[in-house]
Amino acid sequence: MSDPIELRNVTKNFGDFRAVDDVSFTVPVGTVCGFLGPNGAGKTTCIRMMLDILRPTSGSISILGTPRALDVRERIGYLPEEKGLYKKMTATAVIAYFAMLKGIAPAVAKKTARELLERYGLGDFQNHKCEALSKGMGQKVQVLASIAHDPDLVILDEPFSGLDPVNQGVMEEVIRDIRARGKTVLFSTHVMSHAERICERIIVIAAGRIVFDGSVERAKALLPTIVRVRGTGAEAALAGLTAVTEALPSSDGREGVLELRLREGADPQELLKIAFEQGVALEVFEVVDPNLHEVFVHLVGEKAREAAFR
Amino acid sequence: MMQIYRVAMREYLENVKTKGFWIGILLFPGMVWMLIELPQFLEERGIPTRHVVIIDRSEDLGEIARQRITLLNRKKVLTALQTHISKATAELREQMMEDQEIDTGQLLDQLEQGLEQLSRSDVEINPFSPNQLVKLGDLIPEQMLLNDAQWAQFKKLALSQLPADAPPFTEPDLRFREVPLIDDISLQNSNEEIEKQLKPYLRGDKLYKNGDEEIELFAMVIIPANALDPDQDLRFWSSNLADTDLLDTILAALSEEAREREYSRRGIASDVVAEVASLRVRSVNFDPNKGAGDEKVGIRDKIRQYAPIGFVYMLWVAIFSIAQMLLNNTIEEKSNRIIEVLLSSLSTNQLLMGKVLGVAAVGVTMQLAWIGSLIGILNLKAGPSATWVADLIAAVITPELLLGFVFYFLAGYFFYAFLFAGIGSICNTIKEAQNYMAPLMLLMMVPLATMTFIPSEPNGTIATTLSWIPFWTPFVMMNRMAASPPEFEIYGTALVLLVSVGLVFLVSARIFRIGVLRTGQPPKLLELLGWLKSRTP
Repeated sequence: MSDPIELRNVTKNFGDFRAVDDVSFTVPVGTVCGFLGPNGAGKTTCIRMMLDILRPTSGSISILGTPRALDVRERIGYLPEEKGLYKKMTATAVIAYFAMLKGIAPAVAKKTARELLERYGLGDFQNHKCEALSKGMGQKVQVLASIAHDPDLVILDEPFSGLDPVNQGVMEEVIRDIRARGKTVLFSTHVMSHAERICERIIVIAAGRIVFDGSVERAKALLPTIVRVRGTGAEAALAGLTAVTEALPSSDGREGVLELRLREGADPQELLKIAFEQGVALEVFEVVDPNLHEVFVHLVGEKAREAAFR
Repeated sequence: MMQIYRVAMREYLENVKTKGFWIGILLFPGMVWMLIELPQFLEERGIPTRHVVIIDRSEDLGEIARQRITLLNRKKVLTALQTHISKATAELREQMMEDQEIDTGQLLDQLEQGLEQLSRSDVEINPFSPNQLVKLGDLIPEQMLLNDAQWAQFKKLALSQLPADAPPFTEPDLRFREVPLIDDISLQNSNEEIEKQLKPYLRGDKLYKNGDEEIELFAMVIIPANALDPDQDLRFWSSNLADTDLLDTILAALSEEAREREYSRRGIASDVVAEVASLRVRSVNFDPNKGAGDEKVGIRDKIRQYAPIGFVYMLWVAIFSIAQMLLNNTIEEKSNRIIEVLLSSLSTNQLLMGKVLGVAAVGVTMQLAWIGSLIGILNLKAGPSATWVADLIAAVITPELLLGFVFYFLAGYFFYAFLFAGIGSICNTIKEAQNYMAPLMLLMMVPLATMTFIPSEPNGTIATTLSWIPFWTPFVMMNRMAASPPEFEIYGTALVLLVSVGLVFLVSARIFRIGVLRTGQPPKLLELLGWLKSRTP
């Protein structure tokens, strides 16, 4: 079976502006994939092309094995970046309506809508009109509307934006639940902590190009390991080693702590060993694991800045 | 198909749930009811008695004017009396359905007899049948109305003939009442002085005193000594310029008197003149389009000639209001960003079709409700036995007209609906949409403007030309339907219209496809043309 999402050399121009530039990637079945990138990187355009709302200028896209997502629309769930609901309809009616458009029978759609609202803490608001819901509740309703037909592939554009921390947690739970049923999820975000917690796989896009595609671990490995040390003679013994590319006062502001940036592939244990051999009395020795946020800034920082000032 | 149906269904249900829809449905019969009831109500009770001062500088002309005012007042009472009688005897007349011919001469004799019998307490009055009673109001001669005693007797006679359970009759207020000059103004004063003195009252600055009551003075009229001479003018003072009944009445009375005197001066008998003047040449109208032996043109044919105006108006209101509905909720979906979810479930064409069909169903529901309530109201007003409503409906609702109405409603609606949906898709707010709507509105005013004169020249150049322009084809052709326009034009314009609907659909679908996802400023015209050329969204 082919992968649920396959993009090959996809390019999209809007007039003279190239929004997506030769993008290729695949997402295998059962993966939760984070689609990361700064504002204006081309995430939404890519997603719209996957859903056949926009057509690529060149390149090919295959979604659940077909080039036209509308042919398999009942197997796809989609939450767009800009969220809105029919103000005058009740929460249940909206979810049921969207499920019905995906081919679910009206009675089943209504029942599923109620169950979903119940499960994710909105049971009391079933018959409230959408205009009476808070922004966060409305957003949850919309997420539920996009998965009420139990799709095989769920594409969520910025599902966390506008949610408070508690509801962000609920959102993560929703995504984990989908994965638990063996479905594939692709979601875009620019908040790295969510991606770090729930993704197996991340794709980073900047200025229309893919700058990283791989596991979270591999992404973190992109950044040099940092070791923080303090102790008499530590600088003399360690700063000059070939494994160390840079030695600076620590960024966390502690007095006398030195931050050592290691060459790619270098083992922090080697440093410890050398310090031991040289007889340095170490008071501090910490290996700092880079978080995804730093990886992200490292990957797209320059481009994001350029985009921001363009 | 399922998708289109579900979109249409939602569109329909959501619109039907709105307040606006129900207001629209209820407002129309309400307005029709008001239009029927209000004038009568105003006639009877709405206008207060108007008070007038008459300064008569002539010998007898004032009396002539006063008589005519009395006549006007009594006729108003007579009309009210007639309405009262026909209401009170409606049931009786219902029961005696046989349409007996009423001999007017005989009825007048009977009336005179009745009045005479009424003055003598020892004789029973020959009863009038309810039908005769209703007719009496039309027959009572002017001399009898002007004679105070006879008038009072007539009222008594008519009311005495009503069934015992009839409600009491309340006389409406007088239309005009003459009041004398107040004490501090003397008739001896010059006209100018009187005018100056009365001005504050006429302006409404001061209340006029009539004995003990305080009243508003409506008008003052000065009849000069030789009022009938061509170089003499009546002086009429009033701050109400709209109600001209009083002046018209007085002028008519005096003009008649002037003519009368002139006839006798020249030695012509005035009754001879009246007789001669009443000569009329009559015609029978035939329509060559009708079947042999049935070519005579009756009132029904006239109604049929003008009935399409009603249809055109309904067509216009319906198309305009529901296309507007479509525009509004396209903008809602767009500004709410719902459209993107929808588009992940269906194609833009499906969405467009679903919306247009759903809103069309709303329009059809509204139309049916309107037509139903209209027929209901007419039936209610006319009473169960009246056949004229059925006649009217039969005259108006011919298969051709109905078929035409349905066709032009659908074609016209789709034409404008696609246009409006296209506009809706490129605008984020109603305000933005206004800019695009303005020229469209102007176009839509044309059939309203031409609506009333097209029936008089249904196959003229203007009508023919307008028929070929798809913006107006539905309205203008509907307008011409009764006049049997040439077949070539019927089918030709229909074809042009259908092709245009197709074109508008293609263009709108393109614009819709790109427009619905676009945010920010609406596109420039050139940009729109670019969209039409582009193959992909």
